[in-house]
Amino acid sequence: MNRQQSTDGVSVLGGAETAIALPDPRSIAEMALNVVERALEDAELRWSDIDAVVTASVDLFDGLTASSIAVTEVVGAVMKPETRIAADGLAAAIQAVHQIAAGAYDTVLVVAHGKASMAHHWNLTSWAMDPIFLQPLGVDFLTVAGLQADLIAGSDSSIIRRWAELAAHRKRTARGGIGESFTIDEVLESPVIAAPIRVGMCAPLGDGACAVVLGAGGGETTGGRAVIAGTGHDLDSHHPGDRDLTEWAGLRRACLRAYDMAGITDPAVAFAVAEPSCLFPHEEALFIDAAGVGEQTVLSPDGGLFAGTAPAISGLGRLLRATKAVKGNSGHRALAHGTWGPAGQGQAVAVVEAR
Amino acid sequence: MILEGSIRLPFSYAAGVVGSRFLVALRDEQVILGGRCSDCGTVSCPARSMCPECGTHVDDLVEVGPGGTVEAWTEMPGKPAFGLIRLDGADTALIHHLLSGEGKWQPNTRVTARFAPERVGDINDIEGFEEERGAS
Repeated sequence: MNRQQSTDGVSVLGGAETAIALPDPRSIAEMALNVVERALEDAELRWSDIDAVVTASVDLFDGLTASSIAVTEVVGAVMKPETRIAADGLAAAIQAVHQIAAGAYDTVLVVAHGKASMAHHWNLTSWAMDPIFLQPLGVDFLTVAGLQADLIAGSDSSIIRRWAELAAHRKRTARGGIGESFTIDEVLESPVIAAPIRVGMCAPLGDGACAVVLGAGGGETTGGRAVIAGTGHDLDSHHPGDRDLTEWAGLRRACLRAYDMAGITDPAVAFAVAEPSCLFPHEEALFIDAAGVGEQTVLSPDGGLFAGTAPAISGLGRLLRATKAVKGNSGHRALAHGTWGPAGQGQAVAVVEAR
Repeated sequence: MILEGSIRLPFSYAAGVVGSRFLVALRDEQVILGGRCSDCGTVSCPARSMCPECGTHVDDLVEVGPGGTVEAWTEMPGKPAFGLIRLDGADTALIHHLLSGEGKWQPNTRVTARFAPERVGDINDIEGFEEERGAS
């Protein structure tokens, strides 16, 4: 197979997302319906134009088994092929890209939803850890993030201040969104949530939904065509102690697959914009290193996840922003990123190009 | 309207053949077992049925620790401190509690396992890790 051409004809036809709120008083179904209707309108399509649906949600975070049952009707999946991905929304988009590239469907709707307001999110993540060796200790995703941050910090006493500067900068850059703005000193004085991570260093979590319509060809809408030129995803070991937590090796592998598909040989000069899904400042350094993006790449021009995000939607929202960047003449090519699981166990990237 | 609910459901998890040997060794012998891969030689801890490095089936269990070094530390409100601990003889790190001291643990601090007086075959049969006596 010529991998360089395998996704050449898959375009982002339209999309929409809710403003992150904490809480959003709407039900999961109402939030999903809102973004589906607006995404179809953005793509200038009707329900009947959609061949298949891929949804992204996590049962544990929604307090439901098969949490897609909450949205089956509103995403228009009744009597249509639906695939549900229990991971970040960008992994769902990649599934849709592959369905289209394989010739199975022409137009696929991708929907991701999550409501952090339903329970204490970080406490819930303890139940996503190995039930024999990790969960009984009370280890959750935040514990692992703290260990990863401490490992990276090592004995560098200045790095904590640099992380505080980055968190304050991202929050300041974010337009709207949820969560308080902090000065650097306020970040450093905010309560510890998983040392050395403090409250002010954590992107705020809320409720959100996002929908994207992907299609074969087309996409000749206002601002030109945004093509998904390459995709890659990867799953690393679940046990954090099995991995080298000073790097995101899974992201490096995912990027190599996507760059190979997109014909990118030098990622340092390839991207005008990158939209990483980083909840903490230390993750941004891991992203830059693994993705190989250079200084000419603008990271998170809208503040990234520090504007607020919700479980399972981050990467799909990044795909929308990457699309907006290349259609809005910010540059020819952008990189969208999503991650899920403890300390970046799951990784997904998509290369978006203007055509 | 927001409807309040809660999920509380007793559940039984199988630790597996190798995982059970690991837990029984904690309970009966106060010994920590790693799994040695017959293919790539990686010693992983806790011992599990599959090598995390290369995927080979593991059935050769070897004693690791009880001493080791702290690679990273974190502290969360309302919880005991956690450490990423590389046990002597293991190639992977174990997450467990750090028992002694307050505040940040420095990288490479030597620690040793403290076992619970009453053990039931659970990862908490190790109460946690404390700084080795005489370690500076």
